[in-house]
Amino acid sequence: MLFLRRTIPFLCVAAAGVAALIAFASSSLVGQTRASSAPQMPSAYRAPRLADGHPDLNGIWQAFVTANWNLEDHDAQPGPHPELSGAYGAGPAGQSVIEGGEIPYRPQALAKRNANFQNRLKVDVSNDKTWHALGDPEAKCYMPGVPRATYMPFPFQIVQGTSQYVLFAYEFTSATRIVRMNWQQEAPVDSWMGWSRGRWDGDTLVVDVTGQREETWFDRAGNFHSDALHVVERYTPASPYHLIYEATIEDSKVFTRPWKIRFPLYRRMETNVQLLEFKCVPFTEELLFGKFRKQAAR
Amino acid sequence: MRHPVLSTVAGVALAAVVGLVMPTAGQAPKPAPAAKTAKPYNAPKTPWGDPDLQGVWNDATSTPLQRPANVGEKGVLSDEEAEEFQASLAHDLTRDRRDGGNAADVNRAYNEHWMDARRLKITADKRTSLIVDPVDGRIPALAKLPPDRDTVRAQRAEGAKRFAAGLPDDFTDMSWPVRCVVRTDVPPYLPTIYNNNFQIFQSPGYVTIAPEMIHSARIIPVDGRPHLHKSLRQWLGDTRGRWEGSTLVVETTNFRLDEGVLFQNANPATFKITERFTRVAPDAINYEFTMEDPTTWSRPWTALIPWNKVDPDEQMFEYACHEDNFDIVHFLTGARLREKKGER
Amino acid sequence: MRTALLILLMATPALAHHAFNAEFDANKPVKFKGTVTKMLWVNPHAWIYVDVKKPDGTVEEWMVETGTPNTLLRRGLTKESLKEGTEITVDGYQSKDGSRRANGRDLTLPDGRTLFLGSSGTGAPSEKKK
Repeated sequence: MLFLRRTIPFLCVAAAGVAALIAFASSSLVGQTRASSAPQMPSAYRAPRLADGHPDLNGIWQAFVTANWNLEDHDAQPGPHPELSGAYGAGPAGQSVIEGGEIPYRPQALAKRNANFQNRLKVDVSNDKTWHALGDPEAKCYMPGVPRATYMPFPFQIVQGTSQYVLFAYEFTSATRIVRMNWQQEAPVDSWMGWSRGRWDGDTLVVDVTGQREETWFDRAGNFHSDALHVVERYTPASPYHLIYEATIEDSKVFTRPWKIRFPLYRRMETNVQLLEFKCVPFTEELLFGKFRKQAAR
Repeated sequence: MRHPVLSTVAGVALAAVVGLVMPTAGQAPKPAPAAKTAKPYNAPKTPWGDPDLQGVWNDATSTPLQRPANVGEKGVLSDEEAEEFQASLAHDLTRDRRDGGNAADVNRAYNEHWMDARRLKITADKRTSLIVDPVDGRIPALAKLPPDRDTVRAQRAEGAKRFAAGLPDDFTDMSWPVRCVVRTDVPPYLPTIYNNNFQIFQSPGYVTIAPEMIHSARIIPVDGRPHLHKSLRQWLGDTRGRWEGSTLVVETTNFRLDEGVLFQNANPATFKITERFTRVAPDAINYEFTMEDPTTWSRPWTALIPWNKVDPDEQMFEYACHEDNFDIVHFLTGARLREKKGER
Repeated sequence: MRTALLILLMATPALAHHAFNAEFDANKPVKFKGTVTKMLWVNPHAWIYVDVKKPDGTVEEWMVETGTPNTLLRRGLTKESLKEGTEITVDGYQSKDGSRRANGRDLTLPDGRTLFLGSSGTGAPSEKKK
């Protein structure tokens, strides 16, 4: 009896050990990888169609990456004024949305990116000629351009019928852009949201964006471009609730080669969800114009 | 010799601008007929069955909102009268005039071709006012303001005076359009000097109206969902639409409570606007709006503005505003400089 | 008095587009010839930078405020439509604060043609679409 009392615990431990060994073997690198229990995108999703036979991309969509803080890998960081706002305004950590991880800057351009970041909340509009020299345009409530508008922490709506125009409406500063389908005309001037021309590539909406104002930034980290910016976006339906978004960014004045970002867009599913207003101009007037007001007489 | 209409049009325009009431004529006015077509137009439909309003549209016209006093009770003019009316309005409005002294000239701002040429033409139906109800073609009498709104109104008027004199104290002395917060995108849509363009997009369950100034889109659900709760308020309000036959009927509520956003400083807490869009021809939409605010006007009033299709020849272009609004700084720094020099 | 009101002859009191005499001085009319160095095709006002050679040989830079470029774009003009080096005559009113800014009341080319009155090409977008 004593033998059993001593060996059963031993056998239990041993059995547990053997079980663990078997479990380990089944998930080990040597054998097959156990599939993640998280759901995957359907391997071949076919979106419902509009009457013209194209996929229906209508809906309210939002990105949940932290690319607006920094497209590249980033640690959590204090905000610009932690002594005033503590954890409010601090930035979350995030993984790069860039294929290859980093933006391929020309070496001399990197200094400007770093200077942008240092000056992200400095503004000086006292001289028209240097009006745009300092500060993150987002902080000034300027329209963010493409692709930044896609990953701002706000929803946007795709309004797609069967005409040759698709409207993208962004909650951030109520920015909009019209995507002109199969359009030849070039951008007549530069604009903040660019000149967008679209076409279908199978089920993917491809949007070619040129003519963007050079003053927009890609993110709060100061990543930037020149007036040579050329962006090609791809919106691919991946499930009833997801689009996969890709954007190829080309600007030979600033980067050594084109580079690509990619992340999912999620359909906002709340009942009766609608785009609301984020008309932020009034939030910026004190920052921009406060110093020009009449001072009280002494 | 000047046309008699000319001498009063300016006066009426001033009244429209400052919101004063023009005394109505003594006799009973004749009704102004609504714009009508020879036979009802069968508008095309989108593939999902909604009447098709899509395209780029322009609402510019010289026809004034309110009937000028000197056309008497006439709601609609004869061909000959209409030609004279149009000519005298065009003469008033054209920027290519240089007469009238420097004070008038500086305000004309630029050559005429910087402006929308359609705003020198009266509406095709030859009406004498855009207002169709009341039948005298005038905005109804203004209600008396309660003391608190009166005070706020007076403060804003003081600021506007400082701004008009070129000596604003602060950016708050400037109007919301000058500050690029809203422009022609607050309903009702009224013609202005340029960029009188709207693009209508349609998708299943929505009609979307994108005015050119300032780049915002009004995405209107037509699926019967309720308005936002009354505590959620927006600069452009909250809009819901429904189809009545081939007319899109649009109701907007939930305006923010800031003063000075709405037409004639209507009270955002009690203001309601109903707009109706009807395609009446391949190249025309009738845009009709009814304004209601018992704390501002003694009764509701309605205007009808024809929209003309302009694409494919003309397109919408981006109207960024705040991004390059250098003038805010010019106004303020200019004022500070002049104060230093002793100008006040 | 009446003529000063004519500018307000619009149905849109809500769009209180600024009266230009708030910024530019009716008592300071200017008229000068200069060379365009650049044009900012921006809203709410496009700006033309003009170098003006003074009699003593120095060069003054003026900023000329104009209207919305969108009207011009609709007629087929583009950011290439005003070349650097173009000579223009500016007839306008100077800024009230005395700085070298003017309202571009009437802009003309040396041959007397009004600047931007025509368009380059027909400009019809329908020619350029699919």
